[in-house]
Amino acid sequence: MSGPPIMKWLCLFVLFLCMRCEANKPRRGRGSMWWGIAKAGEPNNLSPLSPSVLYMDPAVHATLRRKQRRLARENPGVLAAISKGASMAVAECQHQFKYRRWNCSTRNFLRGKNLFGKIVDRGCRETAFIYAITSAGVTHAVSRACAEGSIESCTCDYSHVDRSPHRARAAAAANVRVWKWGGCSDNIGFGFKFSREFVDTGERGKTLREKMNLHNNEAGRMHVQTEMRQECKCHGMSGSCTVKTCWMRLPTFRSVGDALKDSFDGASRVMMPNTEVEAPSQRNDAAPHRVPRRDRYRFQLRPHNPDHKTPGVKDLVYLESSPGFCEKNPRLGIPGTHGRACNDTSIGVDGCDLMCCGRGYRTETMFVVERCNCTFHWCCEVKCKLCRTEKVVNTCL
Amino acid sequence: MAGTIIENLSGRKLTVLVTFLLLCQVICFLIGGLVAPVPANAQNILGTICKDTSIMKNDTTKWYYYRGAGKCEKIDLDSIHHDVSERDIVFAFQMPVPRESQAYDYSRWQQNLIGVLQVDIRYHSQMEMTSRSAITIDARLAYRNKGDPDDAWKLYTQSTETRVLDCDIDIKSENYLYNCSAVPLFELGSLYHDYYLLNLRLPVDTPDMNAHIGHIQDLWVTVINQNGGFTKVWLSLKTVFFPCIIAILVWFWRRIHILERKPVLLEKMLLSLGIALCFLNAPIEYLTLQYDLPFMLLLGDIRQGIFYAMLFSFWLVFAGEHMLIQDTSAQSSLKQYWRHLSAVAMGCISLFIFDMCERGVQLRNPFYSIWVTDLGTNLALTFIILAGISTGVYFLFLCYMVWQVFLNISQRRQSLPSMSSVRRLRYEGIIYRFMFMMLATLLCAALTVIGFILGQVAEGQWKWDEDIELEYTSAFFTGVYGMWNIYIFSLLVLYAPSHKQWPANENTSDTQNLSEEHEFSPLPSERSEISSLTSFIRKTTID
Repeated sequence: MSGPPIMKWLCLFVLFLCMRCEANKPRRGRGSMWWGIAKAGEPNNLSPLSPSVLYMDPAVHATLRRKQRRLARENPGVLAAISKGASMAVAECQHQFKYRRWNCSTRNFLRGKNLFGKIVDRGCRETAFIYAITSAGVTHAVSRACAEGSIESCTCDYSHVDRSPHRARAAAAANVRVWKWGGCSDNIGFGFKFSREFVDTGERGKTLREKMNLHNNEAGRMHVQTEMRQECKCHGMSGSCTVKTCWMRLPTFRSVGDALKDSFDGASRVMMPNTEVEAPSQRNDAAPHRVPRRDRYRFQLRPHNPDHKTPGVKDLVYLESSPGFCEKNPRLGIPGTHGRACNDTSIGVDGCDLMCCGRGYRTETMFVVERCNCTFHWCCEVKCKLCRTEKVVNTCL
Repeated sequence: MAGTIIENLSGRKLTVLVTFLLLCQVICFLIGGLVAPVPANAQNILGTICKDTSIMKNDTTKWYYYRGAGKCEKIDLDSIHHDVSERDIVFAFQMPVPRESQAYDYSRWQQNLIGVLQVDIRYHSQMEMTSRSAITIDARLAYRNKGDPDDAWKLYTQSTETRVLDCDIDIKSENYLYNCSAVPLFELGSLYHDYYLLNLRLPVDTPDMNAHIGHIQDLWVTVINQNGGFTKVWLSLKTVFFPCIIAILVWFWRRIHILERKPVLLEKMLLSLGIALCFLNAPIEYLTLQYDLPFMLLLGDIRQGIFYAMLFSFWLVFAGEHMLIQDTSAQSSLKQYWRHLSAVAMGCISLFIFDMCERGVQLRNPFYSIWVTDLGTNLALTFIILAGISTGVYFLFLCYMVWQVFLNISQRRQSLPSMSSVRRLRYEGIIYRFMFMMLATLLCAALTVIGFILGQVAEGQWKWDEDIELEYTSAFFTGVYGMWNIYIFSLLVLYAPSHKQWPANENTSDTQNLSEEHEFSPLPSERSEISSLTSFIRKTTID
């Protein structure tokens, strides 16, 4: 008599559990595992000199989605660039957040775990920054590799040829003509497009969190593009400026990081717009069966506070407030600020009051031997003196 | 009495001609804007850092490159071994960069190659670089052609050069880069071969050499080549203009030869202007498709220089011939203009010397630049300033003369009412058409200057419409080029002597005409065949 209801409840409970894990799992968006490549490229894992070896590495293989693997296969040399870009992004993130409670620490890279820890499960500011900087890192590194010629499959022209992998072969022949007729476009074009394809894999833009990721990835790329600086050369009659050719120079990644940090400080909290995603307007009537990929990026997020202006393409967006980073929180993978160094004279976030969250700090005086008065001789010789200096080190309790 | 064609052309015919020429002008502009790509293309190339494994470091048969069989061993400057010295480090630049998994090659349509060096220097608080420090570069350029084996690089040129790095930094913090301005590296006047390879080394032969350049992180070379499409459009324009101008020149000269008198100065000037334009128009760039002609950049400068010199001289003489600074009885000659023309000559000669010092020497050593040494910079600046002063003096002269002509004409206009109606109408027409030509000249000059300024301000593409992409820079070049061709074409047509006899002279029964014929008698030699405007002014001056 009481059997069926119990079974029913049990079923419901199991179903509920399933739904929970279903709901939990894809929350952060699914395209973030490739970050692990930053650690996979480290020398103890394999030599970054040989891209083929990098591809074969099972640790790398496991971090990539199927489409990302395909992209890596189709563009030899790109994996080394991505790896470099990712580690550059991690280093830059750690530099920018050196003096903050959250210091962009990465965990030991293990299969199936996220490089930055569980913090990326939360749609907070820090996560926004991580997405943006890694996307920027890939854009930057791939553009750079194109300039070096270590990725030979960089596209020549974007304005005329619709880049789809199947038509790439036919387009290649046409592109030789393009090159001889009007030259090739800037490398950033390929870096940008490639980053979209590679980094945004799996972010379908359906849920709000995926939209947030897409937006922040795009913001990272935009920052690389807008930080580029123009250089010109006059080469007209007798070298005069009657003919002037200009080109864009790739920024240093440090300046991209600085710009993104500014965006982090001014990031806007968003929510879903009332009207659902506007119907993807068909720009290209010739291919009505396939919604153009570009439309994934055509959405507008609404600020949480209606008084604020809507976030622009270069602004970072987040969904929920950041957790406290003071105490250790294993559930979110937060190590806490115990044992962190702080600055007792500062009143900013790196100051001991804020950094140690009012727990107090320990002051130690120690003698440090460090290099000083260096002279640099090209290429490989740095002559330094060793100086013994007294240093006061404050550590959070 | 016969004059030039412009004086005898009916208003309707003139309108038709001007409309036709304007149409040609618009076509020239549109060809540049719609068909041609940007004039030049720039490609950023990041230097691959290779390890020099050879024992003899001066061996120019050993080349380092990163693509193809026999590629070098790449090293990372950040994690460098202690046994590596500066002699083991080579920055390799393979041009052009591959795209679409294909090894692109240079086409001879791409004409020339200019290299610019950019240095990424990392800031270290421990070792700040001194501003304007010199960098010494051992540069070697090699070439290879299609079908050659991957390692068959042959030496093109080699040189050790010093450049001054002009760097500053906004944020003095670790790992930031100095903001260094680009330094010119090389200029190849011909792009004859398919692939080029640049190997740069930074030698330290003396303790002071390359000592204050800071921590070099990367070297970038930006190579600029003329676009093949632009060359094709440009050459097509030349191929069209060249025979047109030749034909009109022949026609012009035949017309003058039919006359009984000798050609006057203005006609000689017109002829030489036409010849200078033909020299500029001659599509000798076709030869570069077959032969290696590194002097083409220099020759291009010289051709343009000659044309501008002739155009400027022509304007002077044109204004002067309508001003009567000379003795009316004598046949005017160039000697009377020596003061004015010396300004033109001076400017041209100083620019020519400068060009020979820069692009002339580059024929021998493509890495040479006059701007890198202080002496060279001063010398170059001297010549350029001299040319600038000459241009200023020239324009002062020209403006003064044009002002005089207008003064003259307005004076003569006052005496017009006393003339017979037929003659008055004719003279008014002549003055109008002279003004018309002056206006055309001014318009051409103004359009050139405005177009140039707009191009500098707008930078790049202009969009009037979403669908129409107008390549403004190319449109400006083809437009201006076409404009001066059309200008000179119309000068040759309109200032050629006319065969038409003035009907008023023959079938008029006006008695006043007789007396006016009589008035002309002091100038019998110029009665029939000189430009009637000139004779008109001369006559009234004598009055």
